[in-house]
Amino acid sequence: MKNVLKSAAFALVLSAGLMSASASAEINWKQSQGTEIRFLMNKHPFTTYIEPKIAEFEKLTGIKVVMEAFPEDQYRNKLTIELNAGGKVDGFMIMPGQDDRYYWKAGWLQPLDGYISDPKLTDPSWNPKDFFASFAKSSSVEGKQIGVVINAETSLLAYRKDLFTKFKQKVPANMKELEAVAKFFHGKEMDGKKLVGITLRGKKAAATSQWVDFLYSFGGSWTNAQGKSNFASPEDIAAFKFYGDMLRQYGPQGGTMLHWAESTSSFMEGKAAMIYDANVFKALYENPKESKVAGQVGYAVIPAGPKGLQLPHVSNWSLSISKTSTPERQKAAWLFIQWATNKENGLGALLAGVPSGRKSSWDSKEYKANDKQPDWTAATMKSFDIGQGQWNPPVINVPEIRDITGQVIVDAIEGKDVAESAKKAAELMDKKMER
Amino acid sequence: MKTALSTVSRYVDRRQAFFFPAPAVAVLFLIIVLPVVFNLYLTFTKWTVGLGQPQFIGFDNFVEAFGDERVWNGVKVMIYFSGASLALELALGLAIALYFNRAFKGSEVVQAIYIIPFAATPVAVALIWRIMLNPEIGVLNYLLTSVGLPPGLWVSSADAVIPTLVMVDVWKWTPMITLIVLAGLKSLPQDPYEAARIDGANPLQIFWYITLPLIRPVLIAALMLRSLDNLKEFDMIYTITQGGPGIASETLYLYSYNVSFGFFKAGYGSALMVVVFLVVLVFNVLMNRLRRDASVV
Repeated sequence: MKNVLKSAAFALVLSAGLMSASASAEINWKQSQGTEIRFLMNKHPFTTYIEPKIAEFEKLTGIKVVMEAFPEDQYRNKLTIELNAGGKVDGFMIMPGQDDRYYWKAGWLQPLDGYISDPKLTDPSWNPKDFFASFAKSSSVEGKQIGVVINAETSLLAYRKDLFTKFKQKVPANMKELEAVAKFFHGKEMDGKKLVGITLRGKKAAATSQWVDFLYSFGGSWTNAQGKSNFASPEDIAAFKFYGDMLRQYGPQGGTMLHWAESTSSFMEGKAAMIYDANVFKALYENPKESKVAGQVGYAVIPAGPKGLQLPHVSNWSLSISKTSTPERQKAAWLFIQWATNKENGLGALLAGVPSGRKSSWDSKEYKANDKQPDWTAATMKSFDIGQGQWNPPVINVPEIRDITGQVIVDAIEGKDVAESAKKAAELMDKKMER
Repeated sequence: MKTALSTVSRYVDRRQAFFFPAPAVAVLFLIIVLPVVFNLYLTFTKWTVGLGQPQFIGFDNFVEAFGDERVWNGVKVMIYFSGASLALELALGLAIALYFNRAFKGSEVVQAIYIIPFAATPVAVALIWRIMLNPEIGVLNYLLTSVGLPPGLWVSSADAVIPTLVMVDVWKWTPMITLIVLAGLKSLPQDPYEAARIDGANPLQIFWYITLPLIRPVLIAALMLRSLDNLKEFDMIYTITQGGPGIASETLYLYSYNVSFGFFKAGYGSALMVVVFLVVLVFNVLMNRLRRDASVV
C-alpha cells in the first residue's frame, strides 16, 4: 500500500514536471508584438478558411496581419510584379512546383530551415515530421525548405460507379485496361445522351500538369541524364501519343480547348464515364447542387504504365516568407505561417474541404467520422505516398517550357505525327531551357 | 508677404501658357511618354522580370523574332482575322446603313436595338460567346442540333476558330461602321440624286456612280477607326480562345502578351510589341494616304 502510494506520488510529481516542461517549451508568441505584416494570397479555399481566423492570431501574438487575395491568374502577375518592385510583401502563397526555381533564382524566397530549427521561434507541437515527406520535398529548392504546405493535391482517376456496376466493368489497373474501358463506354447512350469514354484536359499548357502522370507512368521524363529534353525518346512519345489518342478517340469534342473547367463540367453533366484530373475536384463532383453524378463517383490511383510504373504527381500551395522583407517582419511572418499550419488549422482546413499536408489531420477521428468517400481518401493517401513532387519541367522558365510541351499534346490530340512534333519540341526546349 | 505673393502670381500670370497645362503634361509624361521610352529601351535588352538587370543585346530580339515560327504564325493569323473581319464589317455596315437611311416605321427602335452589341462591354460579351460556343454544353450547338443540323466545333477546331472569331467580331463591330456611314449618308447633298433621277439612272447606277464615290472618304475613315482596334484585337480573342487551339488563333499581339506576361520575358515581348506597332502604323499611313486621295476626288 505504502509502495503504491509512493509510486502514485512519484507519478504525480513526474507528470507535473512533464507538464511544466511542455509549458516551458511553449514559445513566446508575443515576441513580435506590434509588428504589421502583409501577405499576398491566391483566392483559394484555404484563404477563405484562414481569413476569418486571423483575429485569433492577432490576439495571440499582437501582430497585425494584412491579407490581400486575388484570383489565381491575376495573383501570379501581381505577386511577381510586387516582389520585383520590392514592394512591402512579407509573405505569400506559392505553388512551388510551378514557381520555386524562378522565385529562388530571383532572390524572393527566404529559407525556413533556420526558423524551424530555432526552439525560440518554433513550438515543438508544430512537429515538422507530421507533414507528408513528398510535400516537404516539393516545397524545397536546393535542399532548403522554402514553404510550408497548406493545400496538398494529387490527381486521381474518377469514374462512374453506377455505370461500372451496371455494365460489369472493372476499375482499370493499367493503361491497356483504361483504353479498353474508355472504348467500351464511348458512344453508349445513357438517358438519351451519348457518353464519352473519358475526359481529360487538352488545352495546351494547362494539360501538362495532368499529362505528366502519364509521362512518368509510361517511364518517360522531362529531361535525360545529360539534362537535354527527353521528348524525342520512345517513352515520352508513347505518353504523348496515348494521351492524345485517348482524348481524340474516346473524349469529348474539341479536346484541344478543354481546361479543367470544361473537362470537369462534362463529367459532372454525366456525359463522361471517367475523368483524370486533380483529386480536389471531388468537391465539385460530389456537390449535388452542381453535379448530376454526386454520390456515384469512385476514385482510383492512376493506372499502371506498360512497365508497371504508377507515378502520379503531387502538387501543393505553400506559404513562404519574402526575402525582400525585414528580419523583424520575417520573424512575425514565420509566427503567422507556423500558426496557420499548426495541427489545429490543418485539421480545421481539411474539415472545411482543403486537403491538408499533415498526416495527423487525415488520421484524426473528426475527419474519419465525416468521411463520405473513403475510397477517395484511400486513393489520395496512396497517391501522396508514391507521388512525384516534380510535376513541371525542371527549369526556371516553367511557363515557356509548358507551352512548348502543350503544343505536342495539342498535335497528338489532333492526330498529327506525334514523333515529328515531339522532336521539334525537344529541339525548341533545348534552345529555350533556363536553369 | 503680400508683395511676395503678388510677385508669384504675376510671374504665373505672365506664363499661363506654361503653368496651366503643366500638371496635365506631367501626368501624360509619366503615364505615356515614360513607359513608351522604357519599352523602346527594353526592346534592345534581354530581361526576364526578376532575374537580374536588363542586358543590352542590340538588335538580337528582332533577329530572333525574324526566325521565330510563332511570330510568322501571329502575322498570318492577324492578316487572316483582320482582313476577313474588316472586309465583312465594311460591306455589311454599308449595306445596313443604306437600309437604315430610308425612313421607315419604327426605324429608331430597330436602330437602337441594332447598336446593342457595339455598346456592350467587350469582355462580358466575349465570356458569353465563349460559353455559347462550347461544343458540348453551348447553346449554339443545341440550337443547330434541335433543327436537325450537325453540331459545329467552333473555336475548338483549328480550322474553324478564325471564321468563328470573325463572326463574333462582325456581330459586335458592324454597328459601329453602320453608325459612321449612316451619319455620312445623312449629310450627302441631294442635288446629284435629283439630277440622276431626271436623267433616268436606276438605283444600282445611283449607288455606284453617286453614293459610293461621295461616301468613300467616310468609309475610309470608318475603316481606319475600326482597323486601329481590330489589328490589336486582344480582349475578345483572349477571353474566348487565349490563342488556341494550340496557336491557331494566336495573333502577334497575343503572342507578345504571352511572352511578356506568361513567360515574363520583358525584352523580347517589348520587341514584339514594337513590331505590332509598326504594322498598325504602316497600315494607317497607307489608309490616310488613300483617304486624302479620296477627298480630293
